[in-house]
Amino acid sequence: MGRTTTRRLLVARVARAVGLLALAFVILWFPAAAPNPYILSAAVMVLNYAVLATSWNFVGGFTGYISLGHGALAGLGGYATGLLITKAGFSSFVALATAALVVAALAVPLGFAALRARGASFVIVSIALVLILLLVFQGWASLTGGSRGLVVPRPFPDLLRPEHHEVFYFLFAALLGLVLLSWWLVDRSRFGLGLKAIREDEDKAESLGIPTFAYKLVVFVVSALFTALAGGLYALWFGDLDPVFQFSILSGSYVVLMSLLGGVRHLFGPLLGAVVVGVALEYFKVAYGDTPLHLVASGLLLGVVVMFMPDGVIPTVAGLARRFLHPPEASIREVSAAELEEARR
Amino acid sequence: MSSGLLLQSIVLGVLLGGLYALLAAGLTLYFGIMRVVMIAHSAFLILAAYLAWYLHVQAGIDPMLSLVLTVPLFFIAGVAMQRLLLARLRPETRTMMSVLVTFAIALLIEGLLSYLFTGTQRRINLAYGAASLELFGARIAVVKLIAFGLAAAALGALYLLLAKTRFGWALRATMQHAEAARLVGIETDKVAAYGFGIGLATAAVGGTALALDSTIYPSLHWHWIGPLMAIIVVGGLGSIPGAAVAAMLLGLAESMLQIPFGTTWAQTVFYIVLFATLAFRPQGFFGGRLAQRF
Amino acid sequence: MSHARPVRSVETVDLTKAFGGVLALDHATVSFRPGKVNALIGPNGSGKTTYLNCITGMIKPDSGRVTYRGRDITGRPPHRIARAGLGRTFQLCRVFGRMTVLDNVLAAARGRPDVERARQWLRRVGIDHVEQVEARNLSYGQQKLLELAGVLMSDPETVLLDEPAGGVNPALIERIADLVRELNAEGKTFIIVEHNMDLVMSLSDHVVVFDRGRPIAEGPPDVIRSDERVLGAYLGV
Repeated sequence: MGRTTTRRLLVARVARAVGLLALAFVILWFPAAAPNPYILSAAVMVLNYAVLATSWNFVGGFTGYISLGHGALAGLGGYATGLLITKAGFSSFVALATAALVVAALAVPLGFAALRARGASFVIVSIALVLILLLVFQGWASLTGGSRGLVVPRPFPDLLRPEHHEVFYFLFAALLGLVLLSWWLVDRSRFGLGLKAIREDEDKAESLGIPTFAYKLVVFVVSALFTALAGGLYALWFGDLDPVFQFSILSGSYVVLMSLLGGVRHLFGPLLGAVVVGVALEYFKVAYGDTPLHLVASGLLLGVVVMFMPDGVIPTVAGLARRFLHPPEASIREVSAAELEEARR
Repeated sequence: MSSGLLLQSIVLGVLLGGLYALLAAGLTLYFGIMRVVMIAHSAFLILAAYLAWYLHVQAGIDPMLSLVLTVPLFFIAGVAMQRLLLARLRPETRTMMSVLVTFAIALLIEGLLSYLFTGTQRRINLAYGAASLELFGARIAVVKLIAFGLAAAALGALYLLLAKTRFGWALRATMQHAEAARLVGIETDKVAAYGFGIGLATAAVGGTALALDSTIYPSLHWHWIGPLMAIIVVGGLGSIPGAAVAAMLLGLAESMLQIPFGTTWAQTVFYIVLFATLAFRPQGFFGGRLAQRF
Repeated sequence: MSHARPVRSVETVDLTKAFGGVLALDHATVSFRPGKVNALIGPNGSGKTTYLNCITGMIKPDSGRVTYRGRDITGRPPHRIARAGLGRTFQLCRVFGRMTVLDNVLAAARGRPDVERARQWLRRVGIDHVEQVEARNLSYGQQKLLELAGVLMSDPETVLLDEPAGGVNPALIERIADLVRELNAEGKTFIIVEHNMDLVMSLSDHVVVFDRGRPIAEGPPDVIRSDERVLGAYLGV
C-alpha cells in the first residue's frame, strides 16, 4: 500500500473521529442552547424519531424488508409500559425495561407470521398488524381506556416542564447512542454480512448455507426491542396515550421516509432523515397549524424520495456530484453486466 | 340471535361482499399486471365518493350520474399513474417500492380531501335514501340494493371485458406471462396502462356505490385497504375469481359477526383470516393455478 | 480441508414433480458417482434444472426421495442441504450485486469469516485484483468466477454446477474446466448440468442423460456419445 493511500486512510479516520465528536458535542450542548422549552420538546420528538428510524433500519437497512408496521411495535411498547405502571404497580423504568422485553418476546411469533412472506406480502402484513392492533386497543376499553386514552404517570412528578424535557432529552440521547452502537456492531459482524446477503438475493444466500429465516427473525426481534424502548420512553415522557396516535400507519411511514431519505445503508442515515423530516414537521406545525397539509407534504416527499432518490439523499447527491466533477472516461473496457441491463431497459 | 336478524345480516353481508368483490378485483388487476400493490386504491375509492357527494351538494346531481365524470377521469388517472410512476420503478424492487409510492399517493389524496372538505363526516341525503324494500323477509334499504347492483354490474362488465373481448384476452395474457405475450405481438406496455386505468375506474364505481349509503370522511380509506388486502391474499394473489369468492365469504363473516361482537371487533375477522392464511396456505385458498405468492 | 472419500453421493429414487399440467420430473431414479465428475445432460425441457432445484431444496418434489451420502434430505430447507456439503451455482449466474467481491466470498464462510482464505479462493479463480469492486460492476465472466469462488468458500464436498459454460468465452470455459479437474483431484465430487458437449466429453467421468423428466441412459462419455437413445432424444427421433 502506497504512502499516499496510508495517509488518505489516516485522514479519513481522523475526519470521522472528529465528526463523531462534533456530533456528540452538538447533541449534548443543545439543551443548554435551546431558547425555550418548546424547542427543547421538539428536539425530544426529533430524538424519538431518530431512535425509531435507526431501530427500524435494523430490518429495513440490513434485510431490505420495508416494514410499514413498526408503529405497532412502538405503540405496544408505550401501552405495555403504561399498563405495567397503572395496573401492575411497576416503577417507571422497571416497567419500561419489562415492556420492551415483553414486546421483544411477542416479536417472535409476529416474526414467524410476517417473515415467511416476502416482499409485498411482508408490507401488507406489517400494515395489517397496525390496523388490527388499532382495532383491539380501541375496542378493549376496559383494559386500555379505548379511545379515551391511557394516562401514564410521570416518573419524576416533581420536575417542572423544562427540566422534564431536559431529562428526557438526555434519556433519548442515551438510547440513541445505544441503538447506533448496536447497529454499527451488527454492520461489521458476520451476522450483518449474512443479512446483507439476504437483502441482495435471499434464495442465493440460503443456497450458500445462511439460515435466512433465523437471521431475519433475530434482527426483527432486536429491532422490535429498541422500537419498544422508544415507544415506552415516549409514554413516560408524554404521559398520555391514544390508540389512534400510537397505532398509526402514518407515524410508521414517517419512520420509513426518514430512513429512506437519509439512506438505509448508512449508520447515520436514519438520524439525518429524522432531523430533516422531524424539524420540517415541527416547522409545519408552527407555521401552518395542525392542518392536513402536512399529510400532503409527507406524501409528496415520500413519493419524490422513492421515485428519484431510493438510495437516500447522501448517495444520490454524491453520485450527482461525481458525475459533474468527474465525467466518465471514455475507455475500452468490458461492459459490466449491470450496464448491459440498464441499456437493455 | 333471532332469525330475522340473522337473515338481515346475511343479506347485508352478501351486499357488502359484492362491493368488496368489485374493489378486490381492481386490486388484483394491479397486482396481476405489474406485481404492484396499490395501497391508494381505497383512497381513490373515497375520492370518488367525495366527488359524488360534492356534485350532489353543489349541483343536485344524483350520485349515479357522477359516474359519467368519475369513471373516465379515473381511467385516465390510472393510465397516467402506470406510465409515469410505476413503470419507472426498477423491476427488482418494484413491488416493495410500489407500496411506498402508492402509499404516498394515498397520503396525498387524504391530505387534499381533508384540506378541501375538512374532516367533517359527510353524507349524501337522497330523496329515496330512506326507502326500503322487503327482501327474503328482511328489511333492506333501497340504496344498499342500488349499490350492490352497481357493483354487480361493474363486475359483470369486467368479466365480459376480460373473457369475451380481444383486449381482455391481451390483458389476461399480459398478466399471466408478459414475456410470452410480447412474443405473440401484444403491446404489453399499452395493455398494462389500460389495465391500470380499468382498475382505477372500478374504484370510481365502488366510490359512488359507497357514497350512496355511507358516511364518508378523509381517513376512511384506512378502514377499507386493510380488509381489501386481506381479501386478495386469502383469495390468492392474481386471481380475480379467487378474490371475488374470498370477498363474499369475508363480507358475510363480517356482517354476521357484527351482531354479537359489534362493528369494531367484527372487522378483526379480516386480519385474523389474513394471518391464518399466511401461516398455513400463503398462496391463498381460491386462486387455483393463477394464484401466486409474492 | 480434505474429505474422506464417501461411498455414496447424491442419489434420487422415483423423484417426481409436476407444475400444473406439466410433468417436469417423472420418477427419476439416479445415483451419481462419488469422487467423480458427473455430467447431467439432455435436451431443453428435460427437467435438469428442476431436478437440481429438488436436490438442493429450492423446490419440494411431489413424491420420491433424495439422499446425500446415505442421509435423506428430501424437502429439507436449502441452507441445511448446503451445510450438509452440497454447494451449487445457478444457471443465470447469481451474485450479491451491491456487495464487494471480497464480501461476496466472505458471506459464504462457515463460522468466522476468514479473509485470508477468501483471498486465496479469489486468487485461485483469478479475480483477486478486483477485490473491492462491487459485484454488479463486474463483467459476466468475472461474475461467474465470483459465484464459483463463493460456493467453494462454503467448503462443499459436492459441487453442483448449472451450465457453467453458459454465456462465457472459450478461454474462460477452459479455465473453469481446469479448476474442476484440480478440485476433483483434491477430492470434490461434481455434478455438472451442461449443454456444451465438448466440455462434457472432455471433463466428465460419468454421464447421465435426461429426457422428459427421467434418465434414459447412464455411462462413461464415449459410450453415451454413440448411444442411440441419446441421439434420439436430442434429435427428436
